[in-house]
Amino acid sequence: MQDLLELAVGATASGCVYGLVALAYLLVLRPTGIINFAVGEWAMVGAFGGHLLLSRYEWPYAAGMAAVVAFLCALGWLTERIAVRPLVERGAPVLAAVLALLGVLVITREAISVSFPPDPLPVPYAFGIQYQKYFIIGVTLAVFAAAWVFFERTVAGRSFEAVALNRRAAALMGIDLRRVSALSFAGGAGVAGLAGLLVSPNVSAHYLMGVPLAIQGFTALVVGGVGRVEGALLGGLLLAFAEQLTIRYAPIPGGYAQGVPLLFLIMFLVFKPTGLLRSRI
Amino acid sequence: MNLVRFAGSFLVLAGAAFLLSDYHNDVYRKMLLWVTLALGYNFLFGVCGQVAFSHFAFYGIGAYSVVILLFQLHVPLPLAMVLGVAICAAVALAVAIPATRLEGFYLALATLALAQLFVVVLNEGGELTGGTGGLANYRLPPVFGWSLGGPSYTAVIVALLLGTYALLVRLDRSWFGRACRAVRDNPEAAAAMGVDVARIRVAAFTVTSALAGVAGMVYAFVDNTVNPPIFGLENAFLLLFMVIVGGAGRHAGAIVGAVLLFLLPFVLSPLVGHHHVLVFGVLVVAAILFQPKGLIGLFNGRS
Repeated sequence: MQDLLELAVGATASGCVYGLVALAYLLVLRPTGIINFAVGEWAMVGAFGGHLLLSRYEWPYAAGMAAVVAFLCALGWLTERIAVRPLVERGAPVLAAVLALLGVLVITREAISVSFPPDPLPVPYAFGIQYQKYFIIGVTLAVFAAAWVFFERTVAGRSFEAVALNRRAAALMGIDLRRVSALSFAGGAGVAGLAGLLVSPNVSAHYLMGVPLAIQGFTALVVGGVGRVEGALLGGLLLAFAEQLTIRYAPIPGGYAQGVPLLFLIMFLVFKPTGLLRSRI
Repeated sequence: MNLVRFAGSFLVLAGAAFLLSDYHNDVYRKMLLWVTLALGYNFLFGVCGQVAFSHFAFYGIGAYSVVILLFQLHVPLPLAMVLGVAICAAVALAVAIPATRLEGFYLALATLALAQLFVVVLNEGGELTGGTGGLANYRLPPVFGWSLGGPSYTAVIVALLLGTYALLVRLDRSWFGRACRAVRDNPEAAAAMGVDVARIRVAAFTVTSALAGVAGMVYAFVDNTVNPPIFGLENAFLLLFMVIVGGAGRHAGAIVGAVLLFLLPFVLSPLVGHHHVLVFGVLVVAAILFQPKGLIGLFNGRS
């Protein structure tokens, strides 16, 4: 029983991280239609920011966390300005932006691998190893609550939804598409960086940590459905529980456990590509 | 491509191999294989508009299946080659039917997951795939009494490249190629013109993936070793970058991109060490932003 409870808490915490990455995808995807595979690398940058500020310069945790999120928001904003906006203004297909962001992914990863030693680098816990899981769960719930309030209860949030539904009509209603797009990239990068910072004490900051997170986050997004914010969290939790339970109880060799999220993703894409939660509209 | 030009190109490209030193011959062969892969991938991504990351995994399936058939199951060479092609085509078809139903990025993600899954299976395959170390220390058995090695094996690769090129050019100029371009540019309009969109997508995916598998079978005897890291995601990305930088949708673009990005690390390594991938990333973003038709688009305006 104790064992099962620990497994449940652990799975909930990793599900929260997947959910945050899925939310980072969703924030960019809804208003712009762009799937941004670079979110995994943004999470990786967040982990390295945590290492730099909290381990090397020993900032207080709250200040370091705020600085990392602020830096990531700036990075997301900059990415949108440099790699995405020129394409959107030229009227290039969405695919061009997705491919440009793949280039950004590679640039980000290589820039980090050039600047830091190749070994995994430590990132401190917020309050100590035994509380980290609860900290992750708490922060994630706060982020999702904030996102829900923003999209459902504020005018600015509703304008994001309007852009997601119909760009042209939204623009005609006086919504500034460029501002929405820039803010969505900044927000997505901030959330992704937070996910990276939260998960990094357990896995250490490493320049290859991005792609697995990007795939797990995307799986969570596909499971939950791209229509609603809470779908991202639900998808993340389901994926994490499926993963943990398979590792614990299924009679397969340990290495194959890495394949579980991949199989989960393929099955959902093929059989239920709309996800579990349907869009409200 | 008529027969005379085909034979001429073969003589020039294969003849070059006999003038090169062993080291340069090795580099030359790998370049030819990358060009072959880029040509096939260009047809899938550039001509038919499908962003799939499974192309390199099929290269790996071809390489592993021929090695396993020959040296684990002791199948004779001609049969192993036929079976290898059959396996690649069957797997490609089995993947293509559900995968090509997916819209846009979902296909990219499903094939990305598939490519990752392939590496997991290779690592966990135990005796059959040799696990993380892969399979090594085998030799190509004599073909009709000839033992192919050194430059004469390079001639095999040249034949593979030219055969792939000839097939893809012919496909591209047929109704099939036009249907692929129509599906890429506007699936609804293509369907309205009587093109069976799903069937075209499945056929393009299967043909190009099977071609990648055949290239993989040839690759298996270049280094005489196959192991999981070779077939990882890094190279799948590199292939995509080659086609984008060279110019998606045109065979010459794929060739230029593959040659450039393959040779660039040799030029760059004295300057940036192992960080040439950083330069690739910058090149890709720059190509998409400033030169969407790729390098080949600089020469003339035909698309």
